[in-house]
Amino acid sequence: MKSSIVAIAAVMTTAIGVAGLTDGGFLRQDNRKLGSLTGESQDTPAAAGLAGEGARGAPPQFTEVAQADRPSDEARSASKPQPVVDESALRYFAAKGDTARLQAEISRLRSLYPDWVPPADPLAVPRNTDVALETMWRLYSEGRYAEVRKAIAERQAKEAAWQPPSDLLERLNVAEARARLVNASELKQYETVISAAASTPSLLTCSEVDVLWHVANAFAQTKRPERARDAYLYVLKNCENPPERLATVQKAAAVLPYATLQDLLSYERTTPEGVPEFESIRDDLARRFVAEGDGDKTLAVDPKYVQRVEKLAETGGTASDALLLGWYQLRRDNMSAAEQWFQRAHDREDSASAAQGLALTLIARKAPAEAEGVLYRWRDSSPDALATYFAATANLLAIDPPLALDAAVLARIAAETTKAREPATAQQFGWYARALNQPATAAQWFATALRWKPDDEPSAYGLALSRDQLGDKDGVVEIQRLWSGRSERIARLGEVKELVDDVNRVQQPIAEAQRTRPQATTGTAVVTEPAEQPVAQRPRVTGSAQKAVRTGAGCRTTINPAGMAPQAALARGWCLMDLNRPLEAAEAFEVALQAQASQIREDAAYGQSLAYLRAGLTNKAAVAATKSTQSRGRVDELQTAILADRAIAAFNAKRYREAILFLDQLGQISTRRQDLMVLRGYAYMNLKYHAEARRIFEALAATGNRDAMQGLAAVESSQEIWPNKN
Amino acid sequence: MRWRTALLAGLLALLMPMAAGADEQGGSVNAREWDQYKARFLDSGGRIIDDANGNVSHSEGQGYGLLLAVLAENPADFALIWSFTRRELLLRDDGLAAWKWSPAETPHIIDINNATDGDILIAYALVLAGERWKREDYSQAASRIAKAILDNTLLDHGGRTLLLPGVSGFRATDRPDGPVVNPSYWIFEAFPALDRVAPSPRWKKLSDDGLALLNTAQSGPRKLPADWVSLRTMPKPAQGFPAEFGYNALRIPLYLARADMGGRELMARLREGMKGDDDALVLSDVSTGAAEASLTDPGYRFVNHILACVLDRVPIPDSVKVFSPTQYYPSTLHLLGLSYVREKRPECL
Repeated sequence: MKSSIVAIAAVMTTAIGVAGLTDGGFLRQDNRKLGSLTGESQDTPAAAGLAGEGARGAPPQFTEVAQADRPSDEARSASKPQPVVDESALRYFAAKGDTARLQAEISRLRSLYPDWVPPADPLAVPRNTDVALETMWRLYSEGRYAEVRKAIAERQAKEAAWQPPSDLLERLNVAEARARLVNASELKQYETVISAAASTPSLLTCSEVDVLWHVANAFAQTKRPERARDAYLYVLKNCENPPERLATVQKAAAVLPYATLQDLLSYERTTPEGVPEFESIRDDLARRFVAEGDGDKTLAVDPKYVQRVEKLAETGGTASDALLLGWYQLRRDNMSAAEQWFQRAHDREDSASAAQGLALTLIARKAPAEAEGVLYRWRDSSPDALATYFAATANLLAIDPPLALDAAVLARIAAETTKAREPATAQQFGWYARALNQPATAAQWFATALRWKPDDEPSAYGLALSRDQLGDKDGVVEIQRLWSGRSERIARLGEVKELVDDVNRVQQPIAEAQRTRPQATTGTAVVTEPAEQPVAQRPRVTGSAQKAVRTGAGCRTTINPAGMAPQAALARGWCLMDLNRPLEAAEAFEVALQAQASQIREDAAYGQSLAYLRAGLTNKAAVAATKSTQSRGRVDELQTAILADRAIAAFNAKRYREAILFLDQLGQISTRRQDLMVLRGYAYMNLKYHAEARRIFEALAATGNRDAMQGLAAVESSQEIWPNKN
Repeated sequence: MRWRTALLAGLLALLMPMAAGADEQGGSVNAREWDQYKARFLDSGGRIIDDANGNVSHSEGQGYGLLLAVLAENPADFALIWSFTRRELLLRDDGLAAWKWSPAETPHIIDINNATDGDILIAYALVLAGERWKREDYSQAASRIAKAILDNTLLDHGGRTLLLPGVSGFRATDRPDGPVVNPSYWIFEAFPALDRVAPSPRWKKLSDDGLALLNTAQSGPRKLPADWVSLRTMPKPAQGFPAEFGYNALRIPLYLARADMGGRELMARLREGMKGDDDALVLSDVSTGAAEASLTDPGYRFVNHILACVLDRVPIPDSVKVFSPTQYYPSTLHLLGLSYVREKRPECL
C-alpha cells in the first residue's frame, strides 16, 4: 500500500516538474522583458513632452531601490527582429473611448518599440476579439486586480499554452504593488512602503507622483531625511506637472527641515511668464521657516524669509504672523523686538499665545505686574499659559525689595495658586511675607508649598527660618529631622544663626529670598533675570564664618578618628551625624566597631548604617547593618530604609522588576507606606502589568491618595488589545 | 526520524491528484464542496468572510482559504485570495500579516498586530501551492513569511521553543503571567513545510515542544488545555481570557490528526474531555470541568468523528460526509476534516 503511493507520487512529481520548468522558463523570460521595458522607457525621458503615463525620467537613486535590469545595447539590437507589439491595451482603451489612456499607451509603445507605427485613427482600431482578455482588461481598469489574477489562472488552467500579455502582467504587478504600498503607508508600515517601492522600481516615475510622495514620507518618518530629500528632488528634477511640483514642495515642507528644503527650492523653475513657480506658496514657506525658527533657537533662517513675514504682519494685519515673529525673536533673546510683535498681535487679536508671549517679554524686562495683568484672563487656556502665569506671579512676588501689590491682585494670585496647587508661587508668597515681616503667614505658605511639593527644599528651608523667627524650636528640629541628609543648610540652621546673628540679622531673610525662577515647559522658556548667583540660595556663610564653625567645640574639628578609643569614636560619630557630616561619621563609627563591648559595636554598626543611608550609599549601609547583631526594632528600621532606597533607585533606573522585589521584601518587615505602594503601582504599570497596577491604584485612590488617582488615570489610558476568538 | 516520515507522508498525500472518496472534480476537497464554501465565505475580491464576527476578515481566515484552495486544486481561487491577502494584510514592517481587516473601517486594518496562526497558515498554503503548481513567486513569498515567523514569533523559554500568539502583548515582559501561548496555534502539519522554504532546526524543536506542551497542559477534571495558557510557572489558564477549553482549542485534535501526531494517549484524553451526547463537541471550564456549550454544528462534531476514527476506526456517519456550509469557522474545520479522512483515513469513510 505504502510503496505504491510512493511510486505514484514519484511519477506525479516528475510530471509536475517538467510542466513547471516550462512555466518557470516563461516567467523568467517575461521578467527580463519587463525589466527591459522599464529600462528602455527610462532612456526616453518625458517622451516628447507628453505628460502623464508616458513621461518617465530615471528613477530616484535610492540605495535601497533596486534598479530594473537594463539590457545593454547589444542585447537590444540582438533581440531584433522586434517582437510583435502587444496592442491589446490600445484596443481596450480605444473601445472604451478613453483617449487620455489611449494617448499614454501610444507614447509608451512608441518609446518601447521605436519602429512601431501607431494606427492612423487610434479610436478606429478593431476591438479585441479575445473576449476573455477583454474581460481581464476591464477588471484591471476597474481596479479589481485580485480578480484579474483569478481570471489569468483560470484561463491557464483551461488553456495550458495560453500566456497573458506581458503588458497586462506588468501593469498588474505595478498596480498591486502600488495599492499595497499605499495601504502600508496608511498604516505607517514604512519599511514595507520602501521595500515595495524597491521591488517595483517602475512605480517610481512621474506618472505616479503620489507613490513618490509616499516613499519620500516613509524615508522621512524613518529618520532618513537625505533619502526623503532625494525622492522629492527626483520629482523636481524630472517631472513636469506644475501642480504636482508645487505639491511636492508643500509635502516636503511638512516633513523636512529648513536646510534640506533649501536644496529643494534651488530647483525652482521660472514659468514662461517669468514668475518663479513656487511663488504662490512663498508666503507659507516663509511662515513655515520662521515657525521652525520658533522651535529651534539655533536655526539661522535666511533674513529674506523673516522680512517676508514681517511685511505680511505689517500689511496683511493678521495676528498670527505677528505671533510667529514674536516667538521667533523671543527664542533669540531679542526681547524688545519680541515684545513689539507680541504687543501688535495682542492688540490685533488678544489670544492665549499673544498674551503668553507678551507676558514672557514683560517678565524679562522685569515688569511681572503687567505680565500678570495681561495673562490673567488666559491663564486657563493651556498648561503652558498657566505655567507662564505662575512664572509671572512667582517673579512678581520675588521682586526685591518687595512691591506693594494691590490687595485685589494679591487675592486673585493667591486664589489661583491654591486652585492649581502651585508650589513655586506658594513658596514666593512665603518669601514675600517674610520680607514684609509676617513670619506666621510666611510659615503657612511655606508649609502649603511643601504639601504640594514635598521635596521642595527652599520651602522647607523657608519654613525652618520662619519657625525659627517665631521661636518654634521644636518646629525647627522637626524639619531638621525630616530633612536630615538632604539639606545641609537646614541641618546647619542653628549653628549658622549664632554666627549670622552677629553679622546682620535684618538682611538675612531678604538674602535668602533668592528667586528660583520657575521654568515654563515647552514653548515658553521663561527668561530668568541675569546672573543671580545660585550659591546665594544657601545661607550667607562667609569664609571666616565657615572656618569658625569648623574650629568650634565637639566634633567640628576635622581629625583622623583612627587613633581614638571606641567609646570616644562612637560619640564623635553621633556628633558628626548631628552636624550632617555622614561620611566622616561613618569613619568614626568604623573605629567604634573595633570595640570589645558588644553594645558599643552594635551602636556603631547602627550608626554607620544610618550614616551611609544619609549619604545615599545604600549598599554600604546594608553591609554596615550586618557588622553587629541588632535589636529587632533597629534591624527593621534599617532594613526598611535600605529597601525603600533600593526600590526607589531601581525604579529610577527603570529596573521595575527589581523595584518590585525590594518592595516585596519590604512588605515583609514593615507596614506599607503609601508612597511606596504608589511606586509599586507605577512599577507594575511600566511592566505593562495593568491589572496589578490598577488594583493597587484603586485601593489607594479609595483612601483619597492623589498620586494613586493619577496612577489610575495613567493605567486607564494605556490599553491592551488582543484578538480573541469567539 | 519520525519527523521525516511525517514530512514525507504529508507531502505524498498532497501530491496525490485524487484520493479515495473524492469522487468529483477537484482535490481532497471536491469542487462541489469548494463551490459551496466559496459561495458563502469568499467574496469576489478574494476576502474570506467571518460571518459570525461582523463579516470581518483575518489572517487566519485568509490562510484557511488559501489552504482549502490548494486542497481543492483550484489555482485560480488561490491566486484570488492570495492577491487580496498580500495587498491588504501582508503589510507589516516585519513581514508578517496584520491580523484583522474590517470592511467598515478606513484604513481597513483595525489592529496591526499579527496573529501567528494566520501567518503560519498563509505561509504553509504558499509552500504547498508553490510546490504543486511550480510557482516560484509563491515559494519565495512563503520563505519570506516563514523567516519572519522564525525571527519574530518564536520564544525560547525555560528550555522550550514556544510560539507567541502575536508579536505584541504575550511575552514575559508584556504580562505578569507571560509568556502566554495558544496551543491551537501550533499547526503541526505546517512546520515541516516551512522548514523546506526556511530551513531551521527550530521548526522541529517548536513542533516537539508544542506536543510536549499538550502533554503537560492538562487542566481540571477533564484534563484539557485552556485556549490561552500561561507558562510563567506551571502551565495554567492565562489571566484575562476565559479559563476554558473553547473555540480555539477544539481544533487541536484536528491539527494533530492531520499531522499524524499526538499519540494514542493524548488523543484519547482529548476525546474523553470533549465528547458530548450525540457526538456533540463540549466546550468546558478548565478549572471545574463544567460544560459551557455543546456544539452540534457538523463541522465541530467532525472533530469528534475524526478522533473516533483515529482511535477506534469508527466510520464517519453519513450525515456529516456531505458538506453543507453553516458558518465560516465550523465549515472550515469540516472541510479540513473531510480532506484529512479522504487522504489518510479512507477506511473510515
